[in-house]
Amino acid sequence: MDQTPIINFCKDLGCCYACCLRYLGLKNPKVFENCRKYVLEILENGQPKKNDRDSAEKSEIMKKDENAEEPVNKKMKMNDTCVSCMGLLQEESWPNYFQALDVTRKGYETDTFACGLSAPMTTLLREKAVILRLCNQFTEYDATILTPLKEAWKWTFGVQMAKVIGKSLDSGAVSPLLITLNMEYPDDLQELEILKTLSPSLFELRSKQKKRFTVEFTRRSVEEALTDLSLEALQGVDGWKDGLPAVEKHVKCVSVVSVHTPMYLGGRYIKLSRELPQTPWMVNGVRMMDSSVQEIIFDPIARMNLIEPADVEHRLKFMSAGREDVDVRCLGQGRPFAVEITDPRKQLSPEELKTICKEISKTGKVIVKDLIYVTKVDLTELKKGEETKCKTYEALCIKLSHSEYDHIVNPDSKPKVTENDIERINSYSNTSPSDEARIVLKQKTPVRVLHRRPLLTRQRRIYELIAKELPDHPQLFTLVIKTEAGTYIKEWVHGDLGRTRPHLGEAIKAKVDILALDVASVHLQWPLVNNKN
Amino acid sequence: MAFNILDSIPDIDNFKSYTDRYFSKRYILDVDGVKNNDIMIMFHSNRIALLSLAPSHYFFKKNDDYTINFTIGNIDRLSNTVKGKGKKGGQYLTPKSVICKIEYCDGTSYAVPSCMKGTLVEINEELVNNPALLKKLPDSDGFIAIILASIAVSEATKSELLAHDEYLKKLNSQNSDGKKD
Repeated sequence: MDQTPIINFCKDLGCCYACCLRYLGLKNPKVFENCRKYVLEILENGQPKKNDRDSAEKSEIMKKDENAEEPVNKKMKMNDTCVSCMGLLQEESWPNYFQALDVTRKGYETDTFACGLSAPMTTLLREKAVILRLCNQFTEYDATILTPLKEAWKWTFGVQMAKVIGKSLDSGAVSPLLITLNMEYPDDLQELEILKTLSPSLFELRSKQKKRFTVEFTRRSVEEALTDLSLEALQGVDGWKDGLPAVEKHVKCVSVVSVHTPMYLGGRYIKLSRELPQTPWMVNGVRMMDSSVQEIIFDPIARMNLIEPADVEHRLKFMSAGREDVDVRCLGQGRPFAVEITDPRKQLSPEELKTICKEISKTGKVIVKDLIYVTKVDLTELKKGEETKCKTYEALCIKLSHSEYDHIVNPDSKPKVTENDIERINSYSNTSPSDEARIVLKQKTPVRVLHRRPLLTRQRRIYELIAKELPDHPQLFTLVIKTEAGTYIKEWVHGDLGRTRPHLGEAIKAKVDILALDVASVHLQWPLVNNKN
Repeated sequence: MAFNILDSIPDIDNFKSYTDRYFSKRYILDVDGVKNNDIMIMFHSNRIALLSLAPSHYFFKKNDDYTINFTIGNIDRLSNTVKGKGKKGGQYLTPKSVICKIEYCDGTSYAVPSCMKGTLVEINEELVNNPALLKKLPDSDGFIAIILASIAVSEATKSELLAHDEYLKKLNSQNSDGKKD
């Protein structure tokens, strides 16, 4: 349909050039870079040029002359403020908004940004008012063509903002950095008050259910109230009869929120201490141990990312494929883990990552050999690994009573691990030979965790079990054991008051207990790509 | 870098049993005024409590065959179930609640009270088929029940009951009193 009458109609209502283009449904970003020229061109020629781009370019050329005629930088008067976007898309408002931009403070390294807008809610009401009038005036007007305020904001303000902050504007799907300006109109809520008379049932419901709806006006409730609004109803309201009420006050930029999408570091940690929990161990708000694997790993990562100690807790998140008890070491290739860095300022170089590893390992309690950046998708591997992986442990065990198989001369003598014991353990099985698992256990939730876990009986599988004598320690033996994830090894050895059945003692008909436990290997490929630069 | 599990062999002479590693034992003597009806409650550091008989209980002096009956009136302790982390649905226990009865062939029996307020989490079902465990390993595999109380109740009960050394002292004085009689 003809664009000229629509433009004229919008202008008469008090819309700015950019909003005129929005109501025309134009979606070409180039057009919005000089809205005024483009609108004037349509008005002059009756129709736009054969393609938007050409005319936008042409208008660039024309720009200087036109500026000479009518400087756009003049101070805007309140009555010039657009009744639809409330000035957001008008260059005259922007200097104030530019002043609010102090994103350089956070020191993002990325060259690009995406630009977000949180507009006053009453812009929704005002858009609806214009649309209703357009539909009333032009029967063939399609209300769905409206170019969203946010898009136009990007193409107009965003382009200029790029120059101010020295980064290039990109889409939110591409750039990891999103900078959102939060805009407030002082009379926003007063203006929306009319919706209570226009859509009384909706707001009565909301005020009845105060617990569910803590605020009356949200973007959603406003949109809901506007859905069935008719022009007649709107025109019945004071101030809306002949058009839209003038914008009496400035829309202010109350805050600028910039946030970078999280980055993830992946690696494996070796834990060498038997007095080190994986994460801070708190009992009733009191910490039980000075440090933790998490804190040792966080410390240099935080420093390299310039994260203040006070912010570490909410800026860094530790994830791992399972965990070990505080008194269990994790050796071999270590346990897969990842660290999520919220709102990171920069990407660390391979050298910096190396330095982080060195700093971690310097503690002597934790060793991390490599750290690399991983993707969010990779993390699912880590979590999947938590359930599906199997683990190999090494345990140091003690024989506490004579075996019923032992030929005891003196019952008071110290029990000794015999060759027979070793053989019995190494051949012990309660499954059929074709079964992949050698032993299947039923474990009730161990007493030591029963206070915080449900009482359940879990079936777990042991794939390998190899005992070895220790020549210098006749009462001790070592055990290499490969099990399904989630097997409680300590309980398998001592039986947890008979609550794990069978338990190791049953293989040799003697009482056995565990002195020390190490994770020897967590069988999970991680991180997925191991680039060694 | 090689790390050997043998680096961490603890001092075996000071080896602590499973029970001693995790639990502190508390005792209550002559429950219900019955001489040597002595109960032991073992508190895990995580406030889980195990109910058992104290070594001085007269049960350990009697050598007759016995069975352990977990049906108390119309309550079947063995059908106790708990759900979730909060152990919801477990039977509610007061100190007087009877957990089980030890019954002898001659028709005599005596009741084991829970001696503390809390939720019954688990009965040691193994005792049904293998009642000898109670005599053989009263402070480990022969425990009678697992009880969970609130932190406050658990702490209060723990401080009310006799600690291990107080228990030994009391037993000693009882024994010497006995000799004087």
